[in-house]
Amino acid sequence: MEGLLVKENQARKKVDLHCYHCGEACDASISSNEKYFCCDGCKFVYQLLQENGLCNYYELSDKPGIKVRGKFSSQRFVYLDNEEVKRKLSRFDDGQQTHVSFYLPQMHCASCIWLLENLHTIDHGVLFSKINFQRKEIFIVFDPSKISLRKVVELLAFLGYEPYISLKEGERKINRKISRQKIFKIGIAGFCFSNSMMLSFPEYFSSGNIREPELQLVFNYLNLALSLPVFFYCANEFFISAWKGLHQKWLNIDAPIALAILVTFLRSVYEIISDTGSGYFDSMSGIVFFMLIGRWFQDKTYDSFSFDRDYKSYFPLGVTFIRNEKEETGTINQLKKGDKILVRQNEMIPADALITKGEGNIDYSFVSGENTPLLKRKGELIYAGGKQLGASIEMEVVNTVEQSYITQLWNNDVFTQQKNKDKSFIHPWSRYFTLILFLIAACAAVYWALNDPSKILPAVTASLIVACPCSLLLSATFTFGNMLRHFGKNKFYLKNSSVIEALSQINTIVFDKTGTLTYSSRANVIYEGHLSPEEINMVYSLAKESVHPLSRIIRQELIIIHNFRPLPVNDLRETAGKGIGGLINGRRAKLGSRQFIEETDSIDNSTRTGEVYFSIDGVIKAVFKISNQYREGIATMISSLNQSKYQLKVLSGDNAAEKNKLESIFGKQSTILFHQSPQDKLDFIINYKKQSSKAGVLMLGDGLNDAGALMQADVGVAVSESSSQFTPACDAIIDSNEVQKLHNFILYARAGKKVITWSFILSILYNVVGLSFAVQGLLSPMIAAILMPLSSISIVTFVTVATSFLAKRRGL
Amino acid sequence: MSVLILLIGFSILIAGGFLLAFIWSVKRGQYDDDYTPSVRMLFDDKPVGEEDPSFKPKQK
Amino acid sequence: MQTLEKFQYDNKIVRNFAYATIIWGVVGMLVGLWVAMLMVFPQWNISGIGVGKETIGLSFGRLRPLHTNAVIFAFVGNGIFMGYYYSLQRLLKTRMASDMLSKIHFWGWQLIIVAAAITLPLGMTTGKEYAELEWPIDIAITIIWVIFGWNMFATILKRRERHLYVAIWFYIATFVTVAVLHLVNSFEYPVSFLHSYSWYAGVQDALVQWWYGHNAVAFFLTTPYLGLMYYFMPKAANRPVFSYKLSIIHFWALIFLYIWAGPHHLLYTSLPNWAQSLGIVFSFVLIFPSWGGMINGLLTLRGAWDKVREDVILKFMVVAVTAYGMATFEGPMLSLKSVNAISHFTDWTIAHVHVGGLGWNGMLTFGILYWVIPKIFKIELFSKRLANFHFWIATLGIIFYAVPMYWAGFQQASMWKQFTEAGQLKYQFIETVTYMKPFYAIRSFGGFLFVTGAIVMMYNLFMTVAKGKLVANEDAEAPALEKVVTQHHGEHWHRRIERRPIPFLIVTLIVILIGGIIELVPTFLIKSNVPTISSVKPYTPLELQGRDIYRREGCYTCHSQMVRPFRSETERYGEYSKAGEFVYDHPFQWGSKRTGPDLAREGTLNLKKTDTWHFNHMDDPQAISPGSIMPPYSFMLDKELDTASTPAKIKAMRAMGVPYAKGYEQIANRDLMNQATTIQNNLLNDSVRVKANTEIIAIIAYMQRLGTDIEKNKIAENKN
Repeated sequence: MEGLLVKENQARKKVDLHCYHCGEACDASISSNEKYFCCDGCKFVYQLLQENGLCNYYELSDKPGIKVRGKFSSQRFVYLDNEEVKRKLSRFDDGQQTHVSFYLPQMHCASCIWLLENLHTIDHGVLFSKINFQRKEIFIVFDPSKISLRKVVELLAFLGYEPYISLKEGERKINRKISRQKIFKIGIAGFCFSNSMMLSFPEYFSSGNIREPELQLVFNYLNLALSLPVFFYCANEFFISAWKGLHQKWLNIDAPIALAILVTFLRSVYEIISDTGSGYFDSMSGIVFFMLIGRWFQDKTYDSFSFDRDYKSYFPLGVTFIRNEKEETGTINQLKKGDKILVRQNEMIPADALITKGEGNIDYSFVSGENTPLLKRKGELIYAGGKQLGASIEMEVVNTVEQSYITQLWNNDVFTQQKNKDKSFIHPWSRYFTLILFLIAACAAVYWALNDPSKILPAVTASLIVACPCSLLLSATFTFGNMLRHFGKNKFYLKNSSVIEALSQINTIVFDKTGTLTYSSRANVIYEGHLSPEEINMVYSLAKESVHPLSRIIRQELIIIHNFRPLPVNDLRETAGKGIGGLINGRRAKLGSRQFIEETDSIDNSTRTGEVYFSIDGVIKAVFKISNQYREGIATMISSLNQSKYQLKVLSGDNAAEKNKLESIFGKQSTILFHQSPQDKLDFIINYKKQSSKAGVLMLGDGLNDAGALMQADVGVAVSESSSQFTPACDAIIDSNEVQKLHNFILYARAGKKVITWSFILSILYNVVGLSFAVQGLLSPMIAAILMPLSSISIVTFVTVATSFLAKRRGL
Repeated sequence: MSVLILLIGFSILIAGGFLLAFIWSVKRGQYDDDYTPSVRMLFDDKPVGEEDPSFKPKQK
Repeated sequence: MQTLEKFQYDNKIVRNFAYATIIWGVVGMLVGLWVAMLMVFPQWNISGIGVGKETIGLSFGRLRPLHTNAVIFAFVGNGIFMGYYYSLQRLLKTRMASDMLSKIHFWGWQLIIVAAAITLPLGMTTGKEYAELEWPIDIAITIIWVIFGWNMFATILKRRERHLYVAIWFYIATFVTVAVLHLVNSFEYPVSFLHSYSWYAGVQDALVQWWYGHNAVAFFLTTPYLGLMYYFMPKAANRPVFSYKLSIIHFWALIFLYIWAGPHHLLYTSLPNWAQSLGIVFSFVLIFPSWGGMINGLLTLRGAWDKVREDVILKFMVVAVTAYGMATFEGPMLSLKSVNAISHFTDWTIAHVHVGGLGWNGMLTFGILYWVIPKIFKIELFSKRLANFHFWIATLGIIFYAVPMYWAGFQQASMWKQFTEAGQLKYQFIETVTYMKPFYAIRSFGGFLFVTGAIVMMYNLFMTVAKGKLVANEDAEAPALEKVVTQHHGEHWHRRIERRPIPFLIVTLIVILIGGIIELVPTFLIKSNVPTISSVKPYTPLELQGRDIYRREGCYTCHSQMVRPFRSETERYGEYSKAGEFVYDHPFQWGSKRTGPDLAREGTLNLKKTDTWHFNHMDDPQAISPGSIMPPYSFMLDKELDTASTPAKIKAMRAMGVPYAKGYEQIANRDLMNQATTIQNNLLNDSVRVKANTEIIAIIAYMQRLGTDIEKNKIAENKN
């Protein structure tokens, strides 16, 4: 008979036992003072904290710990003893103290902050540590005479916060400087604006004649003083970009703005110096202030994400060379053709290489997206990016890192060219705007030339002042800014606002299968044959001992059914990538591939299709069939996309096993391709875009294997299981649980564009009003001062409210 | 109303002083991190080992 | 070479300030309760118990300043310092820079309070609201304030936490601004020890006073408490503030603008219109930063309301923040001309300030006390039930206080303004007073509840302290700061400055500048004091003496001297006040409340009362105008006038630009006696016998002078 162990999406029964450290479901086998743990790793960390009286860690937030994966091997950080690496990593070093800062993807709660800032209590070599939670950054000061850089990193890694170390640091600091610049400008502009507003009010309220002339004088000159920093510092970016634009012979939106600011300033200065008026300084500082805020609001950045990671981020920094029978550590950059290297368990193969010693059990999920490891024998070629699950192997490099199969992608020029730049549809608007504006000004000039020449200058300048297109800029910046936030709220993180515009153009969507449509961790487990509770317990006990991903899946499934007391396993034997066996209650139990169970040498591909056999005393008792599980809500989303006539494609690096399933979801009409290499995926998109020029392509993928396609697509969206997972270079990152919202996101992006158009119209109206005053030469500072904030604020409110409302309507 | 000049003088003076303070604090990266400090201030720096009353165990 | 550093927090200073807060709080509130009762039972007013040359008065006029000073500077002040000393050390991970300075600060401040508690009942007052203390005490305040600031900045310098938490910025803002406000506003010319005249006169004085008055509210009752809120609320709730970003933004927004406020306290007064409008806009703008704080505070507790339900401390804080929100919303509303026309001079304002005072400052202080005391005494609070009782009775107290005052204030205003069809004022002023009485009674009851709560707290905390033991020096440890590494080179001066917090430099800079400017003030102020109305003449010596008595007795706490340009007021009091009329008023006595009628035109024809009327009215107000709640001043009948001080006063006035002829001080007392005897004779005609050199004569002289200058002008006009 056939028993279904866990149905798809079956309501999972809660387990009462959880790991005290990481909160994962576990059994009662591992414990330390009345607290249970899922694995020794977690237990060790707990004990360390407990010895150091750091148990507040567990009080601050619930189950804050980070699951310790696999056995902790300090070997991985040997390369940190390498002087060159040390120098590159340390920000400051005077022999007494070294400053380093790391990016810790695993950081996630108050407990983390507290623990990481108390490192010094665990190891006195650490003098000082500060967290920047939003950047997930730790800044550590340590005494190199007491503790080495490597030891520091090992400590972090042991606690579960393995730093992501990259040698190309620095870009983070630069944009920090930029953001500080922005804050300066906003602060100063805000200060000058608010105060000069206050100084201008007397003028307005006394309708132009304050009885005390000396006061008037003081007010005017204070205003002038306040306007200087605004004009020369805060507003400079508008001038600069306008100038650049003009250089490239095209009029960007900053050009008319710069002009308006310039004219306003000059006229105001003239008025004050000549004592003919009190100028428009408050209005000028006002628009500058508002526009700066707009820009700042639009540049919403997600500090903890990186949108431009290349393969280097995935690859280990350190490599263990074997030079004349001795192990030496060096950096990956030193790797050359023909080098002999050593790859330990759970290490990544840095470059295409042949196995010279040992047996490879390679997990290619990075490269191809397949989640079942492959067995590789001596002499076989292994591609860079694969991960060795078995024991250490020795290899000979056949390609340098750059030339390796997967990394060749990056030699493709897509990775160098800039995307969606200056495509924005705001600029054309501003061009017409400027044109018309000049026209009006000219007309006014002509008219007054005929009637009252003395009014030419006032009229012209006034129209240039009042018709500043800042409202155009504001509507765009605030709309996009607010939309970015709404996307962010739904765990859809965009690289920048230009992506919104690209998103609104999408009509074709390309999916990667594994990890995108399917869960990368969860899977369906079905087994054939019947097992007694005791036998199931045996399976559990064996699976528990193995590091192989399939065993892990089985174990997780079983623990949910029932929380077992694992049985003692004697004479345990694991053959990496094949299976595991041992004596349980005197019976020999085996769990693994058919070939492993039957001890034949016949090549089989059971692991490929995800079959795990279980035998007792050589008799096969059951077969566990492990298959991909599709994400919830995917099917409905696909159908809704189909209805709205999107072109849908699937590019899977995996085998065709899932063909039928996929067709049932996507329908016959959509292209579904298997065995797609990263290069294939890239080419597919290139060709597709060649064929249909109007296609706006969105690529949805997760692994390194999709990197090329993600870059090539108009919008590359990387699916991420958790914020700590690395995502390849892309335009946007989407949380794996939100994938089914994709359609709403696109619709929202389109709606956003409409909002901008509407607000443009609104702002045009304001300009009409303003101009009607201006051309008559009647624009008093007061009118300007009223019109300016009125238009700015009303437009800002309009777009914010509109976008928020639309977000609600799209269920975001 | 000459006293207004005095008052405005002082007002601007103070505000200006704080503008400088603002510039200083941004320069020194005071606001590079606008979240962590709000969590950090919750921790008491008790000597290690001492149980910290400020952490009440979370109700589950 | 740095390592983990061990150090100790100074909890003793925190405890001391906490005790001071509790004790002065109860005292101040009791005085408040007492003066509230005096408005219901005027016969309880005791005035003029002679002590040598001076007199002690327990009358409303002398006690109200005591109440305001006690609750603001003693209760809230000590509360602020308690919070500062607790949070500052912990936020900066270091002990206060100098325990000595802390001690001096503490005892100095308490001495100032005691001095105030002695001088105010003795009638030694500058006559400027919330700045009544005389010049020697002002100087003492300045010194202590500088010591406090010095200690604070020195502590900031030796901090172990580079980031300055937002609360600290609020503290700094408080220190700087209060220093400046105090200096500018208490610029006075000493006549004798414990007697002085404000340098500014009339409108100018009013402007400075309310620039100070408003900002005192802003920077003594608001910013420091926002700072405290940003520390103690997250601590008590054990969750981070809702949005730290918002807190930073709203601090800077606040500080860049707040200092502008003030003139809105003078709407419809003789202040130029545009200055008034400026004040309005201004106060309106302020609602945004203020609410930034409130929203942030409340949202901090979002999702923790279950916690709030069981934690009394959070309850106090929630009410406090809500009250803050209400007050900061009402404020701008009150500054709208249309609203202000109604609310100003009425008890509405009283309700407004007490929502802020009892609600925001009071409740937050209580919350902090309940949190801090057990912490520094390492023990649970003695009784949660009592604390809960306190919370409820205090909340009830606020309601019983505010609601009747709002209602009554509104009624009061409309009664003042109502006309009959015949175009006559509908109500005599006295009718409005008697109408108010029941509400004053309820208000007092509310106050009684609130004080009861405070006393319960006193007991509760006393028992807590008795059970626990103070951890005078609390152990703590933190790593020292890492070395400052400047990436950019060739900026050595720059780096050197950066090592110490620039704000410190700025502050000192500001203080110096202020000192400098202060030197210049008198010269140009005097220039600008040229009378704009020809007929406005300086006060006669007798009137001047009378005016000083008026100020000593704190008449300005119940009587305004400012007729606003409304028909209802011009009908009742006469022509509305002109800026030019006040050019010799050092200090101005416009007042801010009309418990009694306006006196700006008391001497003019249409209000003209005989000297005898005034004589009898002062002797026994109720006898002359039944239902009046004015205290009797019969002691003036035989209290001898201190004529010896006349020359000094004349000199002082001249020094400040009042055009008394040179050497007039020698003959001043002769003129004084002449005028006195005239009045004496007038009284004699009504067969009232009184010595010529009594205070009653002087005060009558002043009463009869009030507002008459312009009239002279008219009479002159009519003549030709």
